Amino acid sequence: MDYTLGIDVGSSYIKMALVEYSDTPVVVDLVVEKIRKRNPTQLINMAVDNLLKKHDMLYDDLLYVASTGEGELVERKRGHFYSITSHSRGAYHFHPDARTVVDMGALFCKVMSLEAGARVKNYAMTGQCASGSGQFLENITRYLGITIDEVGPLSLESKEPAKLSGICAVLAETDVINMVAQGMKTPDIVKGIHESIARRVVSLLSRLKVESPVYVTGGMAQDVGLVAMMNELSDERNLNLKIAASTSAVGAGAIGAAIWGGFRHYKLLGVATA
Amino acid sequence: MKDKAYASMIQTARDLFEDLSFEYASKWKSKDKSRRVIGFLPIYIPKEILHALGMLPVGIFGAGDRLPVIKGDAYFQSYICHLPRTVVELALNGNFTGFDGFIFPSICDVIRNLSGIFKLQLKDKFVRYLDFPQNFQKNIGGEFYRSELDRLIADLQGLNGKKMEPKKLNDAIKLYNKNRQLLKDLREIKRDRPQNISAVDYYLVLRAGNTMSVEDHNDYLEKLIELVDKIDVMPEDKIKVIATGSFCEQPPLGLIKTIENAGCYIVEDDFQLGHFWFPEDIPENSSDPLESLIDMYLHKSTFSSAVYEGDQPKGELLAEQVRDLKADGVIFCAPSFCDPALLDRPLMEKALTKHHIKHTSFQYHENLGQFHVIKEQAGTFADMIKLWE
Repeated sequence: MDYTLGIDVGSSYIKMALVEYSDTPVVVDLVVEKIRKRNPTQLINMAVDNLLKKHDMLYDDLLYVASTGEGELVERKRGHFYSITSHSRGAYHFHPDARTVVDMGALFCKVMSLEAGARVKNYAMTGQCASGSGQFLENITRYLGITIDEVGPLSLESKEPAKLSGICAVLAETDVINMVAQGMKTPDIVKGIHESIARRVVSLLSRLKVESPVYVTGGMAQDVGLVAMMNELSDERNLNLKIAASTSAVGAGAIGAAIWGGFRHYKLLGVATA
Repeated sequence: MKDKAYASMIQTARDLFEDLSFEYASKWKSKDKSRRVIGFLPIYIPKEILHALGMLPVGIFGAGDRLPVIKGDAYFQSYICHLPRTVVELALNGNFTGFDGFIFPSICDVIRNLSGIFKLQLKDKFVRYLDFPQNFQKNIGGEFYRSELDRLIADLQGLNGKKMEPKKLNDAIKLYNKNRQLLKDLREIKRDRPQNISAVDYYLVLRAGNTMSVEDHNDYLEKLIELVDKIDVMPEDKIKVIATGSFCEQPPLGLIKTIENAGCYIVEDDFQLGHFWFPEDIPENSSDPLESLIDMYLHKSTFSSAVYEGDQPKGELLAEQVRDLKADGVIFCAPSFCDPALLDRPLMEKALTKHHIKHTSFQYHENLGQFHVIKEQAGTFADMIKLWE
């Protein structure tokens, strides 16, 4: 059997996917480690060793080890795939009907439109500003005294979402502090934040003229309130899109990297695979 | 594994790169009263002439992101590249106090005008705009170039009273031939085993060659090549690219690192093109060594945006280079507002497209600090070639 490993190094989490590679790849294991204040490289080495031990494997048993995200932090690897390519393949693995993938991570949001076989046709991403990112949302939860898991359900409760600055994370954070001080309801604040983030993503979707269905990957895909808001704003703009969270959204990058690794291995050997 | 000796040698090159007070040149000069330090701008100057006259050529490649530009901006319009701004800043801040003169080779109008600014601002220094021939016939371009070099030599001799002697020029040619050969040896390792020396380390080593004396750089290279050759690490699965367009204003180290980390081994670049201006040795025992320098320039110069292409289109030469090096693609990374690089780019892109060679392009400035967009572009370029070509 051919096994490949994908390691997705994000700014908050490290994700690792062990894949049994074939024309119909199977995800054998998915590990998600929060970096906290640990050295990412040491953490990766440790996590890889643990994963191999768990499956009674040696490093040399792996056909291809691929990094994605901040790949330079991965010491032992054969190759690196850019996150756009990896996330597209990861989402496509679970949803072969995917025509568009939105990767919403801690720092950036990226929109990719796909051709058959998960080949990236076009892409766009948010700029330097952090106001469209998961890190921003995580910061906000501290002001509101809630956990990140509570954000989505709370947002769905809101009837009158607050209006936030959609331009700058610093201004938006100031807005939130003021709203808390004014006694505004938490669900309304949260939904306002979702609207601010979703508006940026929907603008990207509109700009790229993407096709449905759209699958969301990355940590923010688990936020049901955000995905609901993206659908709401997409309908408002008549984009006619069906937006849903991808299966294994957090691990999509690692899974995609592992699958591309297997594909690349055989391509180098001159053997075509799916 | 890369050992401590390797790390220490790279640190030496990095220290020289970081040092904007040019301490190495000051120390070199202090060893003999007749020694002179001459700064030169990109791309190529005949350093052998300076060496034969007891002078140290020191490359002036701007200051990257290591110097905030305060005064320099006042001398240039917003549509001018960044390099002359940090060069003026260095000059007005007194960083060139230990220099005795400056040579500005003809490359573009900005560099020519920069020589004018130096003439006005540094009146006690020797300043020369060195024009190179764009006609390569011996009786026209050759005559012109000889008159330029004769005038340069006559004026340089006035700086320390030393006379140009054919033997000394032949000796200098020999030293620089050795330097060129060592650099080519290192480049060969970089091409064959790019995992042995990173693009940034390689760049720093080349930059050091425009700060150190040629004797010191030769010693340095001999030791380094021995170390690099022994390194035993597995290559990563990356594409091989040629980076072009960065021959004058230098890309930030972060940009070079970004390209490599995005999945590209840089097997050829023009960042320090002057070192590789001639593909072969200059004759070492000529009775007229100046003629040898002139002949080499006329007939053996590498292709460059600063040189008229004549009947050898640069795009075709670049495509040939891609084929020779078995590169997977070309990255055009040119400084913003660099006329020579950006005017050549469409023609080169057209030639590459004609030959079905993949290419991508972006612009930078020497003090660029954010590389995310470039990483994205280089990364997707690498993925596209790795997966779908």
